[in-house]
Amino acid sequence: MFGLAAAALMAGTQLAAPGTAEAAAKCITGDRQAPFTVGWANIYSVPTWMKQTEGTITDIVDQLKEQGLVDKLVVTDAEGNANNQITQIQSMIDADVDAIVIIAGSSTALNRVIEQACEKGIAVANVDSLVDTDQLTVKINTDSQKWGTEAAQFIADQLGGEGKVIIMNGPAGISVSEDRRAGVDPVLEANPGLEVLTETNTAYNSAPAQEAMTSLLFQYPEIDGIISLGGALSAGAILAMDRQGRELPPMTGENYRQFLELWKEKDLTAWATMQPNWLGGLGAYAAVQALNGKDIPAYVEVPLPIIDNSNIDEYLARAGDFPADGYIYSPYDIAMFDKLLGIQ
Amino acid sequence: MGLFALLLALLALYAYLYPGLLSWAGIARFTQNWFPVALVAIAQTLVMLMGGIDLAVGAMVSLGTVLAATLVGGSVLGAGLGITATVAIGVVAGGLVGTIVALFGLPAIIVTLSSSFLIGGAALLVMARPGGSMPDWLSEGLVGVHPTALLILIVLLIAWRVLRATPLGLAIDASGDNPTGAFRSGVNIVAARIAAYAISGGLAAFAGVYVAAQTGAGDPLIGTPLTLQSITAAVLGGVGFLGGQGTLRGAVAGSLLLAVLVNVMFFLGLPPVAQYVMQGLIIVAAMGIKRLRERAA
Repeated sequence: MFGLAAAALMAGTQLAAPGTAEAAAKCITGDRQAPFTVGWANIYSVPTWMKQTEGTITDIVDQLKEQGLVDKLVVTDAEGNANNQITQIQSMIDADVDAIVIIAGSSTALNRVIEQACEKGIAVANVDSLVDTDQLTVKINTDSQKWGTEAAQFIADQLGGEGKVIIMNGPAGISVSEDRRAGVDPVLEANPGLEVLTETNTAYNSAPAQEAMTSLLFQYPEIDGIISLGGALSAGAILAMDRQGRELPPMTGENYRQFLELWKEKDLTAWATMQPNWLGGLGAYAAVQALNGKDIPAYVEVPLPIIDNSNIDEYLARAGDFPADGYIYSPYDIAMFDKLLGIQ
Repeated sequence: MGLFALLLALLALYAYLYPGLLSWAGIARFTQNWFPVALVAIAQTLVMLMGGIDLAVGAMVSLGTVLAATLVGGSVLGAGLGITATVAIGVVAGGLVGTIVALFGLPAIIVTLSSSFLIGGAALLVMARPGGSMPDWLSEGLVGVHPTALLILIVLLIAWRVLRATPLGLAIDASGDNPTGAFRSGVNIVAARIAAYAISGGLAAFAGVYVAAQTGAGDPLIGTPLTLQSITAAVLGGVGFLGGQGTLRGAVAGSLLLAVLVNVMFFLGLPPVAQYVMQGLIIVAAMGIKRLRERAA
């Protein structure tokens, strides 16, 4: 295909390539040439998690620039507004970028505009918060249901299947938080001895989680375990319980730096997994490789890394490299991305 | 008319940066993304003209999307009934809120804040997570390659002109401007208030129908940011917080400013941080020009 493209360029003609791409990834027509312009359609740039994610994207894009594969990164911020995100992706299509990396503000709102991008031959990589449509190049995520199941299983194991637990969720109505919660159910069914005292729904922030937990503590004198389905939520729970002098039960969480530090400081029995920030970098890499003619699978499931009392020190040893209210994600590099994407 | 001059300049800049705007499809796509904000700006303005404020506009849009994605059927009749039902629910909910505000004299900000939780909760009850579907032909018709949105907007502005010539329209106008005077001249202020909230609720629900068609599905949270945008658009357009001041035309222009800003900032290639700063500056500039003109007058 590259020989053909070169020949066409030498002949001074445009390469019209409908249907000439073989074994290529979805949305790839084969008529886009490196160096590529990559668009990063962010739903919200302010939260630290998002800033860290953007950091992995610019890092990977810089590496791809050195290889001559990318020449420009365009970044938008929808300010948490799905309607803005539609407009901005539309603008990226109008500006004819070659690839778009998306964290979706809504699992449904972007379907139609993404399908439009795909029709134009733009490589679309959707990471973290996924959309419903399959008219895109690649979706990359961890398994949110498994996240919930493994977290609940850890608590069930710790309590021997018996005890009073509180479930801390992210916001209602958001796919990620609903999926994680759905993963908890099979464990509750298998362990009828686990009694769910109550559940909280807050933003993935420690302050509202702390507030919610504080008012619950007066109501429930006995809490045997906390199934927290978000990192900052667990930190909020610890702060609330600690301030009232409550004993800290086994709990779950995420690779949120403050949580990991409190875990160590209070000598907890805990378990955490993570939504690696480098999903963003991986998305940019996958989209560019797809444009580059590589066959990229339609769905890439990134395995959930596990943090427990046996390996928490490895994570805390790197804590200084991450913001105080950030997430200590596992290391990544291009070789690992190639492996995840099945690129030889 | 500082706002309109600013708007013209920005639209010209947008067309210069992206010449594709000046085509049938380009105009269609741009107005589609602007339309929901324009609708909620109109809804908000109707209430603000009465000296009220509606913090439930965004929640009503969310409820509209999930109702539409549930009720709208595949056939023309099914779609018509579904849209009518959705808008009717918006009218009834808005009317109830208006009744509480008008009859019990409670502050609109409190009543609509609590109704935003009720309506937002109802949206989550209808759909716990984004889903449902809209018929493709409806999406294509409303949000396809033709500027249907622009047409509906023009129809709405004409409808407002016509309404203002009727006793009800006059009542809405008069009771916002000078409630005591209007009351003394026999205007039914209570009815006018309830009507303004009801129309506003219906418009917000219709914005939900449109967003559902635009996205092809319902989303119980998608409307939330629209509350603040509707107020910003209205204030940019010269609508005052005390009632009786401002025009629907101005609010629509304010919403257009918000929409065109997003696009212009993209094509200028501004980084997100600069986008936040630009937005703030433009809003302050638009308001400042207005104030200076008022002083000069």
